[in-house]
This record gives sequence, structure tokens and C-alpha cells, in this order.
Amino acid sequence: MTINKKKLLIFFNFVCLPALIISSPDWLKINGIAPCWPVVWLLPFSLKNSPWKAALAATLLGIFTDSFTISDASHIPSLLILSLVWSQYGLRNKKIELFLNIGLMAFLGTFFVGFSFWVQKIILYSDLRNSWFHSWSIYALMSEVVITGLVTPVFSSWLLLSYKKN
Amino acid sequence: MIKARGKLGLHLFFKSRFWVIFLLGSFLLGVRWTKGAGYLDFYSILLKPILPGTAQKEWIQEGENTEQIIRLKLLEDDNVRLRKALALQEFNNDQRISAAVISRSSRSWWQQLEINKGSKDGILKGQTVIGPGGLIGLIDSTTPLTARVRLLTDPGHQVGAWINRSKHHGILIGMGTNRPKLIFLNKNNLAQVGDTVTTSPASTLLPPNLIIGVIQFVDKKALPAPYAIVQLTASPEAIDWVQVLKKNDYK
Repeated sequence: MTINKKKLLIFFNFVCLPALIISSPDWLKINGIAPCWPVVWLLPFSLKNSPWKAALAATLLGIFTDSFTISDASHIPSLLILSLVWSQYGLRNKKIELFLNIGLMAFLGTFFVGFSFWVQKIILYSDLRNSWFHSWSIYALMSEVVITGLVTPVFSSWLLLSYKKN
Repeated sequence: MIKARGKLGLHLFFKSRFWVIFLLGSFLLGVRWTKGAGYLDFYSILLKPILPGTAQKEWIQEGENTEQIIRLKLLEDDNVRLRKALALQEFNNDQRISAAVISRSSRSWWQQLEINKGSKDGILKGQTVIGPGGLIGLIDSTTPLTARVRLLTDPGHQVGAWINRSKHHGILIGMGTNRPKLIFLNKNNLAQVGDTVTTSPASTLLPPNLIIGVIQFVDKKALPAPYAIVQLTASPEAIDWVQVLKKNDYK
């Protein structure tokens, strides 16, 4: 049983996650924006593991997801901070049944990741500094936050259960 | 006696078939008086199903389109010949690679497409990507079998542009929406709403005269330089096939 669970975890982490990032299926999008998959994966892992492990995982995950985007803004800084915060929060004396809690954490985490992209883009491209309010950023940020908040309770709670059982 | 004569007159009228001649004459006079209206109306009703209608209109339009295509081809050939004479950059249809879009992220933080042709098919970084409607972006990176296209709409993405009517240059900057910003290089810009924006005919980086979009708004008083908002003619969120233009330098 444990072996099967491990196989499932390996399958999800090394096959499903990259496939979802690359293919970016339309049926899992809101307004053309896909969920923030690194957050979906990192949240249960960070909750279960120590800060060091979580930080390492965040860095590796950041490097992996950055390779599928145009190389300017990076996932790494925001994921690193989130992994440390979530691993500190941990699962101490908390019940796994907090289904909506996970959704809310992913919601806030995605907001932080999106906001970091926004800031990075403004720093990198001087032309974007002419007007600080960008409709596209608000649009991308809100859509990503909503879809990740909806998807996470399904994927992340299942992953968290699997991590706990292993 | 008088009564008998009257009856006799009518009798003779019908008996001698004179009434036929009378009716025929009246009918012909009617036709003459109405200038054959009845005949003509009847004829038009009969012809209605086979009258030249929408089908004929389509034939005419098709003919016009064919004529325009031929004229365009002739002008393109002429243009290529003149560009060769002036030693300017050119591109032709043989240097196009068609590719399917395999992944799309046209509204997210990174506005990009993944296409199913890569370095193995001769695609290189910096090559131009066009779709129905005109220029959509440039190749950002390649793998042996795929390539990543950075869309014109990607925030911060810059390409040189040219306003065809006023013959002025500008820099088109992606703003995350389908309406990038065109920053003019001089303050005395003569751009107007409705002007067509294309790639520069003298560009050495991009193929010449590719349609980018149409100017929607102009702010001539903006500082440090006036700018315009351009509505792109191609819509990357709906494009499934693109063409990559090979540069002649890579022949």
C-alpha cells in the first residue's frame, strides 16, 4: 500500500505537475489564466517538512518552473519565502481536515507570488514604471489567485494526506 | 319592330364571332396602353428563380478577389525586385515554416506560445512569428523540437515599428494587453487615430512591411515622448497555427 502511495506521489510530482505546467489545459483556466502550480505542490510539502527541506524544494521547484517561462521575472524568491513561512506554520496540532484552510493559504500564497512578479517586472522594465497601475497585472493576479484557490483544496489536500501516510 | 332589330343585332354579333375580334382588339389596345406591363411582369416572375442573385454577386466578388490577389502578387514581385536593387532585407514565401501552437499563455504574467517546430527545423532565436492578422511575436528560445514565442503583448517586450502614413519610426512596447504602447522617437509625430503600424521597410532585424496593428489613441502631450496605443490586428489567444519567417541571412 505504501509503495503504491509512493508511486502515486512520484507520478504526481514528476509527471502530472510538469505536464500541467507545460500543457496548461484550457479547462483549468479562468480568463485564460492557469493556476499557480508551484504553489499547489509546494504548500503540502512545506506544511509537512522542515524549513530547510521546504526551502530546498522551493528553490528546485523555482528553477524548474522558471525554465518554462520567458527568462525575466523568477519564481524563486517568492517560493522561497512562502516555503519558510508554511513550514514554520506546519501541521503542529492542526487537523488535516482543514480543507478550506489549505485553499485560503494557497490563495494568499498565490497573491504573494503574483505580486512578486509584478514588482520584478516593474524593476526590470523601465517602461512599465511610467504608470504604476497596470490593468493586466490586476487581471492576471486576481484570476490566478481565484483559480489556484479553487484548485488547491482538491490537489493539495490529497497530496498532504499522501505525504502524511508515507 | 325595333325590339326585334335589337335582338337580331346581338344575335349577329355573337353568331359572326365578331366578339372575339372585339375582345382581342381590346386586349391588344390594353397591352399597347400599358406598354406591355402585364407581359413584362409575368416575364419577370418567370425569370425570378434564375435571375442573377447572390450567386452572381459572389462570382463577381471572387473575380475581384482573384484580380486583387494577382495584382498583389505582381506588386510583391516588383517590391522584391526593387528591394534587391536597393540591397534591403527581404523575405519570401519559401522561407516560412508553419508550426502548430502546442501550449498557450497569452494572458498570464508571461505572454508566450510554445510551437511544435524547433532548431531541428531551422528555427533560431530572434526569428519573426506571424499569424492571421500580422506579426505576433519573436522566437525567444528553441529546443530541438519546440520553440517559445514571446508575444508582442508581453510586458516590456520591445520591437521597432513604423507608421506607414507619416513615415515615422517608434518603439512598440508590450503592456500585457492586446493594446501595446507605441513610443515615438521624436516629438513632432504626425500619427493619427486609424494609422496603420507596420514593421519598418528599412529594418535589419525584422522583415519589412509586416502589419502590426492600427493606432487607437494618441497622446501628443505625453512626456518624455508622445505615445500611441495600438490595437493589434492578430489575436494570439485565438491562433492555432503560426508561421516563422526565416531571415535571408540564414539561408
